[in-house]
Amino acid sequence: MIELFAQLGGWGMQALTRLGRAHLLLLPLLRGGLDILRRPRLLVDQLFSVGVLTILIIAVAGLFVGMVLGLQGYYILSRFGGETALGLMVAASLVRELGPVLTALLFAGRAGSALTAEIGLMKATEQLSGLEMMAVNPQYRILAPRFFAGIVSVPLLAALFSMLGVMGGWMVGGGMLGVDKAAFWNGMQGGIDFHEDIVNGVIKSVVFGVVCTWIAIFQGYDCVPTSEGVSRATTRTVVHSSLAVLGLDFVLTAMMFS
Amino acid sequence: MTEVDDSAEQPPLVRIRGLRFRRGSRWIFDGLDIDIPRGGLTAIMGPSGTGKTTLLKLIGAQLRPDEGTVEVDGENVHALSTPDLYRLRMRMGMLFQSGALLTDMSVFDNVAFPLREHTHLNESMIRKLVLLKLEAVGLRGARDLMPSELSGGMARRVALARAIALDPMMIMYDEPFTGQDPISMGVLVQLIRRLNDAARITSIVVSHDVAETLGIADLVYVISNGRVVESGTPAQLSESGGDWTRQFIRGLPDGPVPFHYPAPPLRGDVLGAQR
Repeated sequence: MIELFAQLGGWGMQALTRLGRAHLLLLPLLRGGLDILRRPRLLVDQLFSVGVLTILIIAVAGLFVGMVLGLQGYYILSRFGGETALGLMVAASLVRELGPVLTALLFAGRAGSALTAEIGLMKATEQLSGLEMMAVNPQYRILAPRFFAGIVSVPLLAALFSMLGVMGGWMVGGGMLGVDKAAFWNGMQGGIDFHEDIVNGVIKSVVFGVVCTWIAIFQGYDCVPTSEGVSRATTRTVVHSSLAVLGLDFVLTAMMFS
Repeated sequence: MTEVDDSAEQPPLVRIRGLRFRRGSRWIFDGLDIDIPRGGLTAIMGPSGTGKTTLLKLIGAQLRPDEGTVEVDGENVHALSTPDLYRLRMRMGMLFQSGALLTDMSVFDNVAFPLREHTHLNESMIRKLVLLKLEAVGLRGARDLMPSELSGGMARRVALARAIALDPMMIMYDEPFTGQDPISMGVLVQLIRRLNDAARITSIVVSHDVAETLGIADLVYVISNGRVVESGTPAQLSESGGDWTRQFIRGLPDGPVPFHYPAPPLRGDVLGAQR
């Protein structure tokens, strides 16, 4: 019994230690932002690999999620004769919740895991040590540009997701199911509030961007530098990011819309 | 081979005193004292697992010792502020076992990297310097290749060109000969010696490749169990009467380093019920 408690205590201490190390990493990541101001090219390169290369999966997913929303929404709303509210329903669902949350989850799976694997392999192949010995701080030179690229990318990807989702909803609702065009777009325009819905959605996606990228970078930087260590770190990135996004979504929604 | 004739007059470039360092409960170094003379080629030898790479990381202040001091050019590296440590590292080069080339950059950009990071030279000047460094390692023609297109030996030569890009006062070589074919090994052996002689760069070679290392070293330290077992010129070590050094230099399977890992008696272990 005592051994069980000791083991639980050991796990707890390990988790807290890792959490502490993750927070300590935040300071150099933020300080590395000054380097980016001097050399914006570092950020631009990472925006491409972190953001641009994630566009395809976001676009396809957004389109299909919007189409499903249009389909499901139509069948429910038509029971009450409320098909004209389909545009509002699709847009509100996407802008408030599904856009930021699903984008963050997809980002963690596509870009987050890639960031962890890249940084972990750089550690395993001594590239990070090599930078240190060349008097170059890898936290500023390698980690910080990726961190800020993630923060910039996620809100833009979420906006793209929501936009294509609305288009998908319209394709199904207006194109296939015959919802009135004016009702669809006017309902959306009238019902969506800029501050209440759009700004809050953007705030959510910025928070998710910070958290997902921070987790991905920390897991890569802190991993055991072996094949197995990198593999485990990559898995942890997806699991921790997904749980953090879902948990934070509840907290943020409660704060914003309650 | 050059004589380390300045060593008597000048203080050593690297002075290690009473170094103690442990991983977990195991002491890797337990009171290590080493002097690396300026301008010479010093080899640090010992079997795998004796902490040779760890020692280089302690000299480069990538690791902190539990006790003792490491001085490089008169400065205690573990007492330096981060900016001062980075200034010192700009005068130190290190060749990692894997080469540690940045995989998303070409050979040219890898060698240009420290110049772009630490100097304000224009691209034209950087190009000239990079080509000269690559010429020194015989890979000027490979400047446009990516690291994934290089053999192991070529990758280490590129890493060597990068290590000398800023004309450092010393270079640390971490197992430079491991896993090399005879031709690549011969090239690396010659390069390391030639660079040392031509630029009077202090070289520290960590290796367990006896013949190659003894062939180029001016001074050799043999370490085991966290301490220096013996030191001297290659000739002195080759004639050493010490059991440990003799076993290591001649590659004898048994001796002070036993063939068998410690284990209970064979009969009881094989016939007993326990796993």
